[in-house]
Amino acid sequence: MTTKSLKFPQAFPRPKSPNGIWSWVGTVDHKRIGTMYGIVSFMWFIVGGIEALMIRAQLASAENDLIGPDAYNQLFTMHGTTMVFLVIMPLSAAFFNWLIPLQIGARDVAFPRLNALSFWVFLFGSILINFSWVTGDAPNGGWFGYAPNSGTTFNPGLGMTYWVVGLNVLGVASIAAGLNFIVTILNMRAPGMDMFKIPIFTWMTLITSVLIVLAMPVLAVAGIQLMTDRVYGTHFFNSLGGGDPVMWQHIFWLFGHPEVYILILPAMGIVSEVLPTFARKPLFGYPFVVFAGAVIGFMGWFVWSHHMFTVGLGPAANTAFSISTMLIAVPTGVKIFNWLGTLWAGNIRLNTPMLFSISFIAMFTIGGLSGVMHASPPTDAQQQDTYFIVAHFHYVLVGGALLGIFSGIYFWWPKFTGYFLNEKLGIANWALMMIGFNLQFAPMHWLGMDGMPRRIYTYADNMGWETSNLAASVGGFILALGILIFIINVFYSKMNKVMAGDDPWDGRTLEWATSSPPPVHDFDEIPQVQYRDDFWFKKHPETISEYYHDEHDQAVPSGAQLDDEVEEALPVVSGGSDDHGHGGIHLPDMSYYPFILSFGIAILGAGFITNTYVVGASVPFILWGLLGWSMEPVNDPE
Amino acid sequence: MHRVSKLSFPFRPALFLLAPMAIALLAACTPDNAQSTFGTAGPVAKDQADLFNFIFWIAAIVFILVEGAIIYIAIRYRRRSDSDKLPHQTHGNDRLEITWTIIPVLILAVIAVPTLTGIWEQQNGVPQDQGEVLNVEAIGHQWWFEFRYPNHEVVTSNELHIPVNRPVAFKLTSEDVIHSFWVPKIAGKVDMVPLNDNYMWMIGDEVGEYYGQCAEFCGIAHAHMRFRVIVDTEEDFQAWINGMHTAPDAPVAGSPEASGKNLFAANCSSCHTVDSTAPGSYAREITSQQARWNGWISDIENSGIVSAPNLTHFGTHSTIGAGLKDLNQATLEQWITNPESIKIGTRMQKHAAVYDTADGNAKLSPAEVSDIATYLLSLKPGSAPAGAVADAGGDVDGEDLFVSNCASCHSTGDDTVVGPGLAGIGDRAGSRVAGQDATMYLKESLTDPGAFVVDGFPAVMPEWGHLGVDSIEALVDYLKTLK
Repeated sequence: MTTKSLKFPQAFPRPKSPNGIWSWVGTVDHKRIGTMYGIVSFMWFIVGGIEALMIRAQLASAENDLIGPDAYNQLFTMHGTTMVFLVIMPLSAAFFNWLIPLQIGARDVAFPRLNALSFWVFLFGSILINFSWVTGDAPNGGWFGYAPNSGTTFNPGLGMTYWVVGLNVLGVASIAAGLNFIVTILNMRAPGMDMFKIPIFTWMTLITSVLIVLAMPVLAVAGIQLMTDRVYGTHFFNSLGGGDPVMWQHIFWLFGHPEVYILILPAMGIVSEVLPTFARKPLFGYPFVVFAGAVIGFMGWFVWSHHMFTVGLGPAANTAFSISTMLIAVPTGVKIFNWLGTLWAGNIRLNTPMLFSISFIAMFTIGGLSGVMHASPPTDAQQQDTYFIVAHFHYVLVGGALLGIFSGIYFWWPKFTGYFLNEKLGIANWALMMIGFNLQFAPMHWLGMDGMPRRIYTYADNMGWETSNLAASVGGFILALGILIFIINVFYSKMNKVMAGDDPWDGRTLEWATSSPPPVHDFDEIPQVQYRDDFWFKKHPETISEYYHDEHDQAVPSGAQLDDEVEEALPVVSGGSDDHGHGGIHLPDMSYYPFILSFGIAILGAGFITNTYVVGASVPFILWGLLGWSMEPVNDPE
Repeated sequence: MHRVSKLSFPFRPALFLLAPMAIALLAACTPDNAQSTFGTAGPVAKDQADLFNFIFWIAAIVFILVEGAIIYIAIRYRRRSDSDKLPHQTHGNDRLEITWTIIPVLILAVIAVPTLTGIWEQQNGVPQDQGEVLNVEAIGHQWWFEFRYPNHEVVTSNELHIPVNRPVAFKLTSEDVIHSFWVPKIAGKVDMVPLNDNYMWMIGDEVGEYYGQCAEFCGIAHAHMRFRVIVDTEEDFQAWINGMHTAPDAPVAGSPEASGKNLFAANCSSCHTVDSTAPGSYAREITSQQARWNGWISDIENSGIVSAPNLTHFGTHSTIGAGLKDLNQATLEQWITNPESIKIGTRMQKHAAVYDTADGNAKLSPAEVSDIATYLLSLKPGSAPAGAVADAGGDVDGEDLFVSNCASCHSTGDDTVVGPGLAGIGDRAGSRVAGQDATMYLKESLTDPGAFVVDGFPAVMPEWGHLGVDSIEALVDYLKTLK
């Protein structure tokens, strides 16, 4: 290379060794980043779970004074914030990172260093928001942060400032990751893999990423406005200064409802991979499942005010949002029916991942049906802000998203590690979670219909709420026991390895074509794709005509003819030397700059919480990270 | 070639999928519970419950079909033995897709019809054909409810009286944060949003006492922000309105009530109005409540004043602390001594000077607390006819007049409540305005307060001429004694 490039002075040498702590700090490998996402968000899952158990302990009996109202308000605020932003979203991101390049036959994501930045910003942001616990002043205005209760007049102290700044920092991570996966999925698919041949999990990741890129900036706007309200005394939402508290609700839920689909679509993608694998049948109605996901992602933008049916927007607005909310149930139903169609006439293996996925359908259906009930504003007038709503969204987010994620963990664990998670412990894990979950959240339906509001730290003993609350609390601890069994399973399986091989489940998608765990470069040779579920059909060529004949509904071509037909449609693959043989594979080198820049961003956030000098202190780190990054070549010259 | 794990699982998920259904069947509806949305006592709540039931049974059918299908498929098509048999690799079926897209649309259309009807019946203004409409302004405060009846000039707190079978039109507002006004048995909730007035209506069609509760998270005492709705017969309601315009009987001199009255005036009256029965007192209470709010908001940390419930005829109430506990001598004494022992976070203990002690308990002896409680419980409509307040002629006690009319804004010490403290007013009254002696100045201050306003205070004091000449003179005489 003869081009001269600017060179930023390096404070320390670029990491080279593939092992040791610095190889993790500097990594740009999507699999390692996925692993770190998984571990960190699972730790926050334990924290959020403990917060939930403390809430349930407090509510187990009437007039309980185990936890006072101040701590209780902090607990439910941080439980919601943690589970949404620090658990479900990043656990999904762990799957995106691990699987997307593998599923589309790529060697990494489009922007590996940006990917590392996403993780480190997420890590620092999550620490920042939880650091408030150490100061004793944790956020206490609810995960929804309604103004003016979240303003300094009614909420002095730093808690809500930590919350809003922390969310803004986390938003940077999400937006960067969303962009990364959109570009990766659109540009880096293996030769021959057109959009209607990509795995359904990849499709759901694409839709989710689009939602993230569009929704998180909305939260960023609201968050920056609330932050300046709190830190600099602006009056965006402060009603005492003439600001409009209802505006906060509109902006928050304009983010908040697409966010619901950001949380659930990845799990739907996971389930859509697990069900076909263990029914040994292709996904029923692939284009319809894709289209339903896209419609959900689109219509998710037109339903936000169903969170606000009691705010007084008037009958016309409530009518419009009621109808749009009911309509969004249609594509959701289409997905459920297609999953049932996938299972129908299959050869169903009821192992742990499958049990979690089937339970997902069963529990998510309950959450969907209760959702239709409060899509109707007259019934919502009784249900809004009661435990009925708590029951509803836990059936969606625990019975849906979390069961889907656990299904994915058991399903792909052999690919991530090379060995199985123990099946007996897995079944126990699943059974305890299902018993505990239903015991915890089913009674909340009638608590809500019996008039118990949300977010109350205690209740009187003459309301008739005690039995249901006690059941819910017991259920919560059983659910926690299920999670504990999972943690035991992780360690037990690591110590008593049952090796899985590359393709233990007779899988359908490309990640099963490479070794378990995959090599750093993912694929020795970039696969050539001919079919949807290409890996499966190449293993079982006798089934190709069954699938494609049905699809085109025309005279049966012989398998060979069809092969030719498809092959003709393939783009000519230029045999770049990079793609042949191990020696020619170029992967990006490791880099510390994403870590440094993330650290600077976290310090910047901390500065808004504490004082301006700290804001100033963040500038050198940010400049160092940005400049170093931009002048650092992807690969150092040999 | 692939390898299939030997681990297989014989038992049926059916049992676990059935569990939630079984629990659902075990749980009967409990319409008798205090806030059950099923045991309705008004047409709005009844329509809402009926619509819920309608949707619920449709959902129940879908639930049984879908969950039944899951269980059926999981059993019928489960792998038998270790067979790796490949089922037919079907890709889908367009006719089925269209069918299961259209069927939910039709079901939702069926649900949408009563939904839209309900929205426009319940949210599009109060019905004019179901009896004379009663107007109520409900205001959410942290953490209690204020109720104003503008057409009757009545103000009360935490216990709302409405007549049976008459539409009540509410204007809902909040001064501080967002609250939500909810009486589950009579009507679903509507939020009380600062700067965004909301309107709702309800009809109570069964006489009785109903529970209400704030449903929007509003801060530390959200769990303890409750209220009651008392649905009266038309006669009882009119009697209650009349009672709210009838002053309580004056306590007998030397009685605990008399002692309590003075203690209340000295310690509590800057925030709590205790007698809004006289003509004009409704407007004054609105002004005072606004002044209290302004006082609190201008110095949140140190304010000695805060918005507080109007306690007119408190002895007729059935609860204390915003619907928290039954009202009786014991609970009231506990409340006065240490409000946080009943309601953590209440502003009363933080702001009232009487709680400015090391342990936060009131600076009052048990006997004094008891006297105040006894006095408050004695506050009921008296034997005097409505409207006849202090102007009984002849023997009028200036101090009594001051306590019942002025003390909510003026202390007799140096401290500012809403208006200036009046210690020493007898000395300085004569030198305020050139050409006016003390009597002339004080008289003008009472009958035309706007004529001279002390620097630094807002011109919010109402005119008091309606008390009558005798009362004004008695007040002036009393004020002149404050040295």
